[in-house]
Amino acid sequence: MSKELIRLKDIVMTIGDNEVLKKMNLYIRDREFLTMLGPSGCGKTTTLRIIGGFATPTAGQLLFEDRDITKVPPHKRPINTVFQKYALFTHLNVYENVAFGLRLKKVQENEVKKRVGEMLEMVNLGNYGERTVSSLSGGEQQRVAIARALVNHPRILLLDEPLGALDLKLRKEMQLELKKIQQHLGITFIYVTHDQEEALTMSDTVVVMNKGRIQQIGTPIDIYNEPKNAFVADFIGESNIIPAVMEKDYYVRFADRGFECLDAGFAPNEDVEVVVRPEDIKVVDEQKGQLRGVVESTIFKGVHYEMVIRANGFAWLVQSTKAEEVGQEVSLLITPNDIHVMRKGVAEHE
Amino acid sequence: MNNKKSQWLALPYAVYAVIFIAAPLLLIVLYSFCTDPQNGIDFTMENFVRFFDFANPMYMQVLWRSIYLAIISTIICLLLGYPMAYILSQLSPRVRGVVSVLFILPMWMNFLLRTYSWMSLLEKTGLINRLLEALSLPSLDIMYTQWAVVLGNVYNFLPFMILPIYNVLIKIDKSVVEAAQDLGAPPYRVFTRVIFPLSLGGVASGITMTFMPAVTTFVISKLLGGGQNTLIGDLIEKQFKVTGNWGFGSAMSVIIMVLILIAMNITPGDKEESAGGTLL
Repeated sequence: MSKELIRLKDIVMTIGDNEVLKKMNLYIRDREFLTMLGPSGCGKTTTLRIIGGFATPTAGQLLFEDRDITKVPPHKRPINTVFQKYALFTHLNVYENVAFGLRLKKVQENEVKKRVGEMLEMVNLGNYGERTVSSLSGGEQQRVAIARALVNHPRILLLDEPLGALDLKLRKEMQLELKKIQQHLGITFIYVTHDQEEALTMSDTVVVMNKGRIQQIGTPIDIYNEPKNAFVADFIGESNIIPAVMEKDYYVRFADRGFECLDAGFAPNEDVEVVVRPEDIKVVDEQKGQLRGVVESTIFKGVHYEMVIRANGFAWLVQSTKAEEVGQEVSLLITPNDIHVMRKGVAEHE
Repeated sequence: MNNKKSQWLALPYAVYAVIFIAAPLLLIVLYSFCTDPQNGIDFTMENFVRFFDFANPMYMQVLWRSIYLAIISTIICLLLGYPMAYILSQLSPRVRGVVSVLFILPMWMNFLLRTYSWMSLLEKTGLINRLLEALSLPSLDIMYTQWAVVLGNVYNFLPFMILPIYNVLIKIDKSVVEAAQDLGAPPYRVFTRVIFPLSLGGVASGITMTFMPAVTTFVISKLLGGGQNTLIGDLIEKQFKVTGNWGFGSAMSVIIMVLILIAMNITPGDKEESAGGTLL
């Protein structure tokens, strides 16, 4: 992996009586696509503002290539931002919006022309230079905002929920496009979103945050398959989270029976939590099943059906391509592979 | 249907506007082409010819002086008002409310009263001069000069400059300012490249709202300028109240109205957005 580019060291941010960030530590590698994911108010936007220079942390340091830039004003950082509401300059046309940063750096006019042209081409707005900003659609304004930031060749691009205002289809297109642009230009992207699907689709690394604290850092696959705690499991995708007892290595008890599992290293009879993804619970013939229950509801979700099945005192969320009738008695199977054991309250309370 | 009905609600205002705005305006235009409108309607260009008499440019000189003093007053208002509006817009909303009330407060007092109080302040033995004397500084002797008129204009019309600019400034999205910083603009560049261009609409309506009353004022020039600094407003007033030449007075009114209309149309900026006196 490439080298470290920027590091947040013991960053604390207090606004009034509210501790928005609690001793945050995070490093981001060069050319990485990192997403900060969490519910609103978790501190992800504040973190982005600190990196961009729009907020000064109460304590801690921000290091860019080992140089302390905590107090460097935004206009002197090799970092550009795509703002949530685009923040385009309405008194300038599309071309001048994109050229803004270059003009400030007194770049030669023909160079400006070349770079702005290339950038507009890249975001598919080749012929839009003379248009006014207000005549553009939301998606087009978004592209201008991206071009305006990237034309300066920043080392890091910050994106603050940039796709939030777009409709679903456009959002999906832009997700892929952003990822493509990021790989093409080799710029570090730090992306803030509350949309877990967006985070999983685009990122190299996902940072899950809650209440001013990092809950987990990992690749999308890690975060999804190996959530560290109930918060992450719940926030990323749908999941069944069940209190359990780790009787011994590779053996966990929940829902009134024991299950083989792949986890080890817990104290004997430690209280834990188990995550089972709804798509991993299989509806099987009675003799193969481990749990027996009754279907409480079935909802068609497009690709699959989502059922609530009550078994052994729990309402299990189950996804299957085959629908079961409400009131039907069914058997469920959970294989060792699909059981993920988590320590209780890791990172979340502390 | 509904729309048609609700249009009737505007009827009282329409009647009012016709009686008190449109009719007098038309009368003035009509009178300006009459020799002696009190005693009969005829048609003559006499009044306009008299005004634009190049052999005796007295009236044009007065008009020029009015415009000249109004321009100076407007420039001073802009130079004082813009920074004021900017500072105001940077304050926290609570402080902002208090300070903007302080700005509007003098406007609750009668205009004449305010101007009279400036007279007693500026007099030879007025408060300012006694203060300067006590500090053994040279006395300020601007009463009955052009500068007293400019001072009166600036004092009275400054809020009309500050408020429209302030209104535009507080509406500028903070993220636009951050975007400019983000793209490499140091503070003064943020101002010159983003904030100022975005506030031009407010500047335009501020200029119009200061320049227009400054050009046509007659109380300020009469009280603070003495007899020596007659402005077009004084001339018009004199024609109606002293000389009794309504035709000539009307002609001058028409000339100044046309001038203001032209001035309004050449001021730059988005008239729709400038939202003149929404705070007034």
